[in-house]
Amino acid sequence: MKRNDLMHMCLQNLLRRKSRTILTVLGVFIGCCSIVIMVSLGIGMKESQDKMLSEMGDLTIITVNAPQGGRGKAKLDEALVRRLKTISGVEAVTPKQSLEVDSVRLMVGTGNRYLAEWSSVVGLDTQAMEQMGYQFLSGAPAAKSGDVVVGQYLAYNFKDTLRPEGMNMVDRWTNAWSEDGSEKELPPPYFDPMQEKLTLEISSESGKFTVPLRVSGVVKEDYSKGSETSEGIMMSLGDLRKLLDKAQGNKKKAVPYDSVLVKVGNISQVAQVEEEIKAMGYSTESMESIRKPMEKEARQKQMMLGGLGAISLFVAALGITNTMIMSISERTREIGIMKALGCYVTDIRVMFLSEAGAIGLIGGVIGCIVSFIASVVINLVSLGPSVENLLPAILGGEGVSRVSVIPPWLLLFAVVFSVFIGLGSGYYPANKAVQIPALEAIKSE
Amino acid sequence: MQASDLRSRPIIEVKNVRKEYPVGDETVVALKRINLEVMRGEICCIFGTSGSGKSTLLNQLAGMEKPTRGEVCIGGVPISRLTENQLASFRQKHLGFVFQSYNLLPNLTATENVAMPLLFRGVPRQQREAAARKLLTRVGLSHRLDHFPKQMSGGQQQRAGIARAFIARPDVVFADEPTGNLDSKTTVEIMEMICSFARDYHQTIILVTHDPEMASYADRIVTLIDGEIVSNQVNNKERTHHEI
Repeated sequence: MKRNDLMHMCLQNLLRRKSRTILTVLGVFIGCCSIVIMVSLGIGMKESQDKMLSEMGDLTIITVNAPQGGRGKAKLDEALVRRLKTISGVEAVTPKQSLEVDSVRLMVGTGNRYLAEWSSVVGLDTQAMEQMGYQFLSGAPAAKSGDVVVGQYLAYNFKDTLRPEGMNMVDRWTNAWSEDGSEKELPPPYFDPMQEKLTLEISSESGKFTVPLRVSGVVKEDYSKGSETSEGIMMSLGDLRKLLDKAQGNKKKAVPYDSVLVKVGNISQVAQVEEEIKAMGYSTESMESIRKPMEKEARQKQMMLGGLGAISLFVAALGITNTMIMSISERTREIGIMKALGCYVTDIRVMFLSEAGAIGLIGGVIGCIVSFIASVVINLVSLGPSVENLLPAILGGEGVSRVSVIPPWLLLFAVVFSVFIGLGSGYYPANKAVQIPALEAIKSE
Repeated sequence: MQASDLRSRPIIEVKNVRKEYPVGDETVVALKRINLEVMRGEICCIFGTSGSGKSTLLNQLAGMEKPTRGEVCIGGVPISRLTENQLASFRQKHLGFVFQSYNLLPNLTATENVAMPLLFRGVPRQQREAAARKLLTRVGLSHRLDHFPKQMSGGQQQRAGIARAFIARPDVVFADEPTGNLDSKTTVEIMEMICSFARDYHQTIILVTHDPEMASYADRIVTLIDGEIVSNQVNNKERTHHEI
């Protein structure tokens, strides 16, 4: 039999028993809806969790530290950096070294009016900054010697020396949150670091000296990369080395890196890369240790929700089997006639399987459409029912946390799964149909 | 000349066929050692009362059941030894059926029903339905092409059934009490129709009946009693009867 003839026949048979077909499809549709909605709630939960985590910092950064307890062979040096770069999944690597001197002061403005009593100064591979995932709020990475990048809130560390003590700093902590729990707009700091020249004053055993610095960019706060992204200064390793040499005076000695930051391309590779680095004898830190248990919990919840949904789809599968068995016992004679007239056994099997599969497909497609609408409604209720919330409710977006998230794969999966449920539950009836002998045609009523 | 040549070769050969059915603990012997040859182009009537084993013999001939012992060959092919799929394709090409209760599929129109054997063969829709319409016109149902079986009388349904049996130009057509449910006037029409088709395409007809009237249409009458052939004779009077 030709494929389109089979399809035509399948539809014809389904339409013959409309009410039964509709009821069976309804079963699949409810099952499909419950799976999609349940899983979408799970995904929504995980999505808001991920959002929360990523606000805490870049999830794909691993900090490599020297091994704990004594000095082993594993040193944080240029060789290690080169080795880390060869690990598969690693996108970028930068060593980090901080300026360890007695004190660091920063001065800005005419007559050094604004003063920061303390600041962390870190040297890193400035060329790798963008690759490492440093997010520039303005400007660009330091390109030449003397250029630095500063943290998002550096300017809040300065006090105005012309104002009385206690009223000379812009407070970014108190009253940072409004009553409904959302973040308030911060009061502006005294100056914009991009517009000013910084003067760095370093004091150490060998004396006190100042260095002029030009701010080339401001990066977003990201604790996975270190506190300097918040209130510190980042410069090239070369510049930092020069400052260290100058501060140490005559007693020059090689200082190992404080730590090495590794940027992994994909979040799913973090655990594996971290494992590999640990095997090399280093200790590591990453958001993975927080993310892992949270993800595990989210997955468990998702499985539970999906399982609940799956139960109703399995009940629907029983419905399909029942319907098909009914229709086969009604059509026993017909099948006998078809066999007597030379219909292939495989065609009969395909005919019944495709009927069952079609019930699954129709139920699955309707189920997907309805659960998509239901998901949008749920999101609209949680976001507040208004027209401008419609698009975020469907597509999500920056800063929108949806209760129910239906990714395209879920819809595809639901349809495919429904079809398979249909085929699976049609298998037994189809086998029964195939076994009906041609003799049935001759039996008189 | 060629026709007589073909006629001399048996198209159906039944060799030592025995059929037993288990009924409860006992075994009922429905056919005892049947030997039969039917020539190409012959109209052969298997005649017997109910319980004589004539239907069982038809089932063996058409490959509906496998004999307990012995062998049935059609056109040299041992159909009692074919697999399901081989049998299906053999039926498509070589066998046609006319049933007592017409057996048209209720949800298909007359045209679709008649076209069904071609559908199983994979003939495209337009082509097979054109052939079906042509044949339906020949059996006098040109005004019933798109009617469903339940909208037609018994005689009309059986005519559609005949069209269906002959559409694929089979070598052998089995007719199982084809007029059992029809009145005597329609019976004559139906029988003439079957015979005229058979003559036109030189096809072999196996006609199973318990009605001596119908047996008179046949070239040869095989009489069965209690699972045994008691007579196998050429019917001489039929010539004058239906060559009109």
